[in-house]
Amino acid sequence: MMNYRSAPMLCAMSLLATLAWIAPVAAHHSFAMFDFSKSMTAKGTVTEFRWTNPHVALLVQLDPQPGTPPEVWSLELTSPGNLTRGGWTRHSFKPGDRVELEFNPLRDGKHGGAFNKATFLDTGQVISSNLRAAEKPGLE
Amino acid sequence: MRRLDPSAASNLGGLSVPLIVRDWKIVVAAVLGLATHAAGAADTVINPPPEAKDWSALANLPDWSGVWTPNVTDQQRRIQTDPVPWNKAAAAQIAKLVAAEQRGDPAGLFVNCLPESMPTWMLITHNALEFLFTPGRVTILGESDGNRLRRIYTDGRRHPADPDPTFHGHSIGHWENDTLVVDTVGILPEAYLAVSEAVGIPNNGDLHVIERIRLDKPDVLRDDLEIIAPRVLTKPWKTSRFLFRQRARKYDIVEGVCLQGNYSEGKDANGNAVFVPVPQSEGGNYLPPAEDSGKK
Repeated sequence: MMNYRSAPMLCAMSLLATLAWIAPVAAHHSFAMFDFSKSMTAKGTVTEFRWTNPHVALLVQLDPQPGTPPEVWSLELTSPGNLTRGGWTRHSFKPGDRVELEFNPLRDGKHGGAFNKATFLDTGQVISSNLRAAEKPGLE
Repeated sequence: MRRLDPSAASNLGGLSVPLIVRDWKIVVAAVLGLATHAAGAADTVINPPPEAKDWSALANLPDWSGVWTPNVTDQQRRIQTDPVPWNKAAAAQIAKLVAAEQRGDPAGLFVNCLPESMPTWMLITHNALEFLFTPGRVTILGESDGNRLRRIYTDGRRHPADPDPTFHGHSIGHWENDTLVVDTVGILPEAYLAVSEAVGIPNNGDLHVIERIRLDKPDVLRDDLEIIAPRVLTKPWKTSRFLFRQRARKYDIVEGVCLQGNYSEGKDANGNAVFVPVPQSEGGNYLPPAEDSGKK
């Protein structure tokens, strides 16, 4: 399993991040780049869970398919505040968790998507995110 | 010279006093102020300290406590039901942005993390907000973006003659029964008038927003907005937004700093906890490390 929190990998990642950075800064964006007409399912291993505003990110190394190398995909969610109200915490995922994911992929073919649901393969527990479910008063 | 607010004042022999002096202590304070600052050239306006009766008067206002979450579905529905009266030049730009959004290549109006501003914050937010009532003021605090904050002065003051433009403008308000009527001017011309995070254009100046905010139902707050933007609209745009009251503690507002999303947590060579930039697309979505980013 790749662990991006290890120091040498972080240095490499930092360099790559700098090189890959197209926009000067980028956050708080539309979700229109995700194709909500397509739903993808994949199994993999969590490499990183970023509990940050304005969008939480889950990075997962997908299980390699025959003839393809392992790939890390980045899945986006709403904010920590909104997720907290759905029962999430910053410990909802940890590196090494084995999961089955359901997400809407980026339209441009890059390895990213909008998170819908994950099933923890070890326990069968399901965790999902749906901001629209909170559109009523007096929620508990 | 010190001058007391409320701003409805008359000038008596060089001393500005309120037209209706409700408390002799204010007059004494004004005289002392005059004595202290007789040589001062600046016309300093003093906000009178709140008294017990000012705090107790807050109990007569409607109860807007709790945390308010937006009806996002209705926000999007109203783009169709309350269409924006864009002028010709604006409509042409908006059409291009809508087309880009529909083909999945959305413009990143807010990817620089500057505030959504007024009135766009009220129009498109996906995040919770809360209201604080204090004497002479209503304060709106938003979740996310760190700087989502509106100060609405309800102490009777007027707008400054020439306010410094800001993202949220200068807001004055008054209560008409249980409705807070808010008037906002002084908004930066660069602030977007937007209907989504990818569709909107700068207001280009002279923006004026009038809001009537009230409880529509016991736990539903309604904000009726009239947006007067002569540089981009053919007529004032009237629309409404709705918020749901939450009292469960898990809805308490949490800190949200927009720029934090550009970083992950890491360590530097000295072992310090530091923020490390993360790769993102031009549209603002996160990408995996470059070697995994897929189609280039």
